[in-house]
Amino acid sequence: MDKFLTFTIAGLSSAAIYAIAASGLVVTYTTSGIFNFAHGAFGMMAAFTYWQVNVAWGVPTIPAVILVVFIIAPLFGAVVERVIMRGIEGASDVVKIVVTVSLMVALLGLAQVIWPQNESRPVPAFFEGRFVEVLGVRVSWSRLLALVVAGLVAGGLRLLFTRTRLGISMRAVVDDRRLLQLNGGRPGRTAMLSWGLGAGLAAVSGVLYATEQTLSAVTLTLLVVNTYAVAVVGRLRSLPGAFLGAVILGLAQSYVTGYINPDLTVGPIALGNLAAALPAIMLFTVLLLQPEARLRSHSVGRPRAPVVVPSQTTAVLGGVALVLALAGIGALLAPADLILVTKGAGFALVTLSLVPLTGYAGQISLAQMSFVGIGAVAMATWGANGSPVAVAASVAVCAVIGAVVALPALRLSGIYLALATAAFALFCTAMFFNQQEIIPSGSVQVPPLSLGPFTADTDYRQLVLLAVLFALIGNLLVWLRRSAWGRRLTAMKDSPVACATLGLNLTSTKVGVFALSAAIAGAGGALAGRTFTADSFSLPASLPVTMLAVVGGIGSIAGAFIGGLLLGAIPIASTVFAANAIGVFRFVAIPVRDILSFTPGLMGISLGREPDGAAPQIAVGYRAVGRSVPALVVSVAGAVALWLAARTGVVTKWGFAAALLVFVVAAVPLLPLVLSPARPEDTAEPPRRLACGLWLALATLVAVAIPWADRIASNGLRVVLMVVAAALSARVGIGVLGVTPEQLRRPVPLSPDLVGVDRPMLRADAVEATRRMGLSEDDFEAEVAALASSTNGAPVGPVTVPR
Amino acid sequence: MSVAGQASAPAGPVLQVEGLSVRFGGHLAVGDVSLSVHPGRISGLIGPNGAGKTTTFNAICGVTPPTAGRVLLDGEDVSRLGTHQRARRGIGRTFQRLEVFSSLSVADNVRVGLEIRASWSRRRRPAPQYLAAAAGLDPERIDSDAEVALIIERLGLARVADVPVGSLPTGQARKVELGRALAARPRVLLLDEPASGLDDLETHEFGGMLGDLASAGLGILLVEHDVALVMRVCADLSVLNFGQLIASGTPEEVQSNRAVLDAYRGGGDDVAAAAAATAAGVHLDPGQPGVGS
Repeated sequence: MDKFLTFTIAGLSSAAIYAIAASGLVVTYTTSGIFNFAHGAFGMMAAFTYWQVNVAWGVPTIPAVILVVFIIAPLFGAVVERVIMRGIEGASDVVKIVVTVSLMVALLGLAQVIWPQNESRPVPAFFEGRFVEVLGVRVSWSRLLALVVAGLVAGGLRLLFTRTRLGISMRAVVDDRRLLQLNGGRPGRTAMLSWGLGAGLAAVSGVLYATEQTLSAVTLTLLVVNTYAVAVVGRLRSLPGAFLGAVILGLAQSYVTGYINPDLTVGPIALGNLAAALPAIMLFTVLLLQPEARLRSHSVGRPRAPVVVPSQTTAVLGGVALVLALAGIGALLAPADLILVTKGAGFALVTLSLVPLTGYAGQISLAQMSFVGIGAVAMATWGANGSPVAVAASVAVCAVIGAVVALPALRLSGIYLALATAAFALFCTAMFFNQQEIIPSGSVQVPPLSLGPFTADTDYRQLVLLAVLFALIGNLLVWLRRSAWGRRLTAMKDSPVACATLGLNLTSTKVGVFALSAAIAGAGGALAGRTFTADSFSLPASLPVTMLAVVGGIGSIAGAFIGGLLLGAIPIASTVFAANAIGVFRFVAIPVRDILSFTPGLMGISLGREPDGAAPQIAVGYRAVGRSVPALVVSVAGAVALWLAARTGVVTKWGFAAALLVFVVAAVPLLPLVLSPARPEDTAEPPRRLACGLWLALATLVAVAIPWADRIASNGLRVVLMVVAAALSARVGIGVLGVTPEQLRRPVPLSPDLVGVDRPMLRADAVEATRRMGLSEDDFEAEVAALASSTNGAPVGPVTVPR
Repeated sequence: MSVAGQASAPAGPVLQVEGLSVRFGGHLAVGDVSLSVHPGRISGLIGPNGAGKTTTFNAICGVTPPTAGRVLLDGEDVSRLGTHQRARRGIGRTFQRLEVFSSLSVADNVRVGLEIRASWSRRRRPAPQYLAAAAGLDPERIDSDAEVALIIERLGLARVADVPVGSLPTGQARKVELGRALAARPRVLLLDEPASGLDDLETHEFGGMLGDLASAGLGILLVEHDVALVMRVCADLSVLNFGQLIASGTPEEVQSNRAVLDAYRGGGDDVAAAAAATAAGVHLDPGQPGVGS
């Protein structure tokens, strides 16, 4: 009985912490429409800040708590809303999810830089050493404190939302931001306040958790999974539901810890980690119990850039070029570099798996590395001799598991798939990858593929195999995208409700796409031919895959490859620059490796500034390269030549880096224009191709020749100067050419219906309207002149259209 | 004023709505509405803004779950089926707030409608008579470029066939929605303000086309604010106000219905009442000209 009571009280105390965290999550989600995956990371940052203030700087407990919970955390939340989240309002679910996930990864990286993991940081419990007796069980005051705080939070929020003007306007902001504004509310301020409140609640839960359990950056950050498993009970919107969920999860975890013998096994699975898998189990159970989501007609969103689908010929040529390029580069590489490039090619296959799911269907998965892991383990188990049959079986297993995982979530709206996959990743780590029976001593060796006389038993052969695989699957995806199925996916992304009213079963279509995606990721694992540690299948390993795939431009095969390269480049860069540090003004030296640890996060957050995708913006400049064969040849040849020069010692390491940067940023996007025989139709004079080409070559050579290492002492300054040089070269290049790359200049055409709604009607719009209506522009000029004389030149519009 | 020339109605209604209610929290959006749509006939559903017309549509095609009531298609109760299952049994619709596939071209929008149908329609439905069998369409061919081309041509969209729908003006985008719905070969078509965004001439032509579709056997339920159009094409009208069915009958009967007049006069806001009354084809005040007539 005492044992039961002890575990009940412990369970209720963690339930209180979950409830506080979940109420913060629900508050930000309901008031901003953005599901904050970084909620746990907010709490983590607050807990570490509390440690810094209270333990390291010796500030007494009460002022420290006030400073962290009531000042720093709310301010931080408000700043995040203002700087990052406001930009993604109205963006797609994918962008919203990737931005908050990126914030989470960036904060985790930042925390590990500021507070390195090699030091233990105990946080003293509140009221240390004070206990009360409850029915004969000793209960610490701090446990009771958690319960009291949870009660206060529940009461306070109830008052806020029902009794105060602020609370009511918080509820209004999510319903219709513009309407609130028209009625005199201030949606911007309200959203900032709600993020501040959410961050404050995250801070309370983070500090309580740190004092009760441990102060660990990863644990606290991933607490978000427990938190949303709890919040899903209330459909992410109801606070009482979230509190109920918290009690269920808190008690369940506590009883499992107390009553289930960790040595107990079910088949090969030891139950020692069951408590860690409980949030995922609970999440899936709740999802299954939810009724199917109502279809909602979407509001007028931002118009997306039209999708450019490459022709099958382009895709085949691209695939051949990729295989040849990687085979060529691979032959020149030193063994250590070859391993890294091969790894990068493996990652590219994993980012490719997101192309159908995220790029075509607009769904998101945060568990791609789990599928890689399942594929890898299946191959290691069944295919010791590298048989292709085992590969097929592994891939099929991944497809089936993918379908099963996605089914409950896909009946609901987009956000639930992200939640479910993240929970699935944690579940796999606890119940599968961290099991001694399944992955002994924490690493798994995937046998190389053996196909007739070909065995991928060297790194070089493995690289070629991966390149061929990428090219084949890429071509398959292009073919699918151009088929009726691909059109249907695009249609489903544009308007799910219209598809349903045409007779499309949305759930089974999405499940099919998810299974395909899981199968490709599984192939990436089964054919990796290398050793994985169990860590590389974890949720923190999966997140950068999804983020960088989206940053790379997930709508296209080339984008997936760029994403894979980014992903592969980070470990490469952190090896190359292992000993280097970027000095800022010579007194702060941050190791490059640390900066790289949160670079993926920062890249993802950059989507917040450009919700249509920072990468597509960049990719626009490069897309033309893919269409122009001479430009492609010169780009590849230039890069290879530079690399050969570096390899043979003709140019220095820094000279190579600078020249490559200038070449890629300035020269490559301009190449199609420089090399194209056609003259752009809307320019006054022909572009100065030769001069521009010479300038670009010169700029690249100068970048090589500058003695970066000798003249400039600070690494940071060198990097800054290189970036400046690249930007300048690009700017001058465009100036010399006399033509801006046409895609960089032309905005996405807006629907004419929105004119006057999203911005004032301009003369250009009126001219365009007359042109479309088939009136001659001369008639219109006369009208405008008459109008201008009568209105003293005021702008035309807004025009009301009679029904 | 209703047009003759629509085929004489065959036996039973294709769509029956019985006692339909939709409640959002405490708000009764649609209360106990019954109506029916016959093949070969255009039925109108009118009422002021917020009367529950679109909610009724959503409940009929399964987008919004009804609180009470049944939806019968050819006598079969489809109330428990999902949206896509009802669509497969023959309910097609367009949307008041456009739901086009904006990144696809006009032709591809229609083609997707066709392809989705091809993906579920193993047994072929009787050929679509409504798009002129004279044009040489083979009723046995499910997926044909000819059908796409024909639909586009009939809707007058041939010139913009390859333009992404996102950059079309509303009126044309509405036609794309109609074409897409037709490509799925529905038995009954729910049109939600299809003529808004069309000019007078286009509206006139559009009315003629609706008549053609109906006379080829399609049942149509039309929500529309353009009184002239409604009066011209509809064989019968149902009037909704505050979610309640307040009148139904032929356009002439509805026009002189006291309940309709009273309901519209009862509104506090004169302008709104006048607009609503105009929408219902009721002239409150001799000095008030009807819109669009």
